[in-house]
Amino acid sequence: MLKNLGDTELEMATKLIFDGLSMAKSSMEQILQSPISLKKIDYGEEKQLPSVGNETSDPLHVIKTNLIGELRGTSHLIFSEQDVNNICAACLSKDILENDSPENKVMKVGFLTEIDNMVAGAVITEFANKLNLDIYGHVPSLHMVKPSEIEEYFLNESNDYDSIIHFKAIFHGTELDISPDFVWIFPSELVEKIKQQL
Amino acid sequence: MKIRTLIVDDSLFTRKKLQDLLQEIPSIEICGVAKNGEEAIDMAVELKPDFITLDNILPDMTGLQILRVLKDQLTATIFIMISAVGQQSAIKEATDLGAKHYFVKPLDPIAFKETLIEILNSGR
Repeated sequence: MLKNLGDTELEMATKLIFDGLSMAKSSMEQILQSPISLKKIDYGEEKQLPSVGNETSDPLHVIKTNLIGELRGTSHLIFSEQDVNNICAACLSKDILENDSPENKVMKVGFLTEIDNMVAGAVITEFANKLNLDIYGHVPSLHMVKPSEIEEYFLNESNDYDSIIHFKAIFHGTELDISPDFVWIFPSELVEKIKQQL
Repeated sequence: MKIRTLIVDDSLFTRKKLQDLLQEIPSIEICGVAKNGEEAIDMAVELKPDFITLDNILPDMTGLQILRVLKDQLTATIFIMISAVGQQSAIKEATDLGAKHYFVKPLDPIAFKETLIEILNSGR
């Protein structure tokens, strides 16, 4: 079952995720060789399952990363079909985009998981370094989830954990304009670690 | 003589990017590409490369575990780590185990090649 984080723990978790996403922003700028801004980050209450993808009927690209090491948990980076198209158009070469060979399809998925590696990796690094935790993100996996089934997806994912935090980040720039959702599901031990830092 | 290089990364995208980047360095010859830890160890023992690029998070083991297995068997080989995992503890452990450098993704292609050339020149 999901439990509430206290205001101070939520504030600290929010700060760590924000700092991680800011690092991810720098990583994306490096990939794009073009400035982008992290325009807005909304975060949802942990008791509520995230409401994601209401505005689309296309399947959502959910990239899941299991935490390994001292603490368990999962992070989920969620892109709309439009976001995926924008990312591929901005970052991949024409020969990959225009050729639908099996290898190129793997490359497109591989690129999305690389983005996740950097975004989830940056946030996990922030938590690990600030809370002195030995945690890492495992190899990410891509799941296509219908918007109508996303609530059920998160319900299943959150069964074994205590808290959930949801961000919507808007990465805006001349080369790229995307607004992925970032959902982190974690155990009470992480909340305890946060409390110890306060 | 060319620097025989083994690339270890589970992501096809990254393997391809690394191959492209490394092939721009004339002294490097890619002798193998491995996508998991087991393949990496088998290929490293068989090929005895001069230089290995190791991803830290692989489906079956970590790059640090691979480094622990190989460092005593391949004493002349230069190891570097390339990973999105940027934890200070991982970086310290890798360098303590003998990795010459720990690159945190994303790679800046120019800085990556410059650092690599420096490492390879100093290690030969």
